[in-house]
Amino acid sequence: MTESLQIQLRKGVLEMCVLALLSAGDNYAYEIASRMADSVGMGEGTVYPLMRRMQNEGLVTTYLKESESGPSRKYYRLTESGRATFEAQRAEWQNFEANVRKILGEAT
Amino acid sequence: MTRGEFLGELRAGLTGLRQQDIEDIIADYESHFADGRAAGRSDDDVARALGDPVRLARELRVEAGFKRWQDERSTRNLAGVVLALLGLATIDFMLLLPAAGTIIAIFLGFALAVLGFCIGGVVLLISLLPIGFLADLGSQLGRGLAGAGLIAGGIGGGALFVIVVEWTARMLVKYARLHYRLLTTAAQSV
Repeated sequence: MTESLQIQLRKGVLEMCVLALLSAGDNYAYEIASRMADSVGMGEGTVYPLMRRMQNEGLVTTYLKESESGPSRKYYRLTESGRATFEAQRAEWQNFEANVRKILGEAT
Repeated sequence: MTRGEFLGELRAGLTGLRQQDIEDIIADYESHFADGRAAGRSDDDVARALGDPVRLARELRVEAGFKRWQDERSTRNLAGVVLALLGLATIDFMLLLPAAGTIIAIFLGFALAVLGFCIGGVVLLISLLPIGFLADLGSQLGRGLAGAGLIAGGIGGGALFVIVVEWTARMLVKYARLHYRLLTTAAQSV
């Protein structure tokens, strides 16, 4: 039961978390994947279909940047629409989270 | 699983996509392995963390097919999305099969009905031809109208059918995404 709740929660916040990561600065997929795997338990491979989808939806764009070692790297950047989506989702989440906390607090 | 095995299975699973798309996707995962090595991880470890390449390929295929269909709304591209969804469903029964079974049955029924309307209309119209002046005008007129009506109904139904397929495909993609955003490690840890 707890497991399935966790999975549902992860599903719901995955996109928002990636948007949050990118709102703090442009990043590349490996870094995003590691952060997401550590904090939300997302499979590392899943980040690529997700990034592709977010790109399709115009939430992020990509550009290539030289790296210190090896070939240039693909970076993801939030678009205007991505930033707006993030703000909306964050407000929704905070509202939701506050309400859940209140109800949990009333429980005995 | 080695790096080569992973990339090979992934590439095999992507066959049929545009070459450009395939190369982009492979490049993503190649750099993931490279970054993993740089971070001191073994290829084996990285491959395990990435998850099942066959499954990833099907998810990426749905995404690529959907993108192509959004760019160009042709019947061919729509068929591509539907096929990609079916491909995902075959390795993930939990995910799509219950929905897909019902939907395919409804689609088949709908398509048959549309076809039946058209054929019925054409048959009625053809039946008018040899009778000529002999039959009474009223019944001829009635049959003519009925035939034309059936064909019109068939064509209208066909148009509706395409709209319904499109809508369903969009819903299914949404539904599939909800599931595949998830998380190979979640499945492993459970």
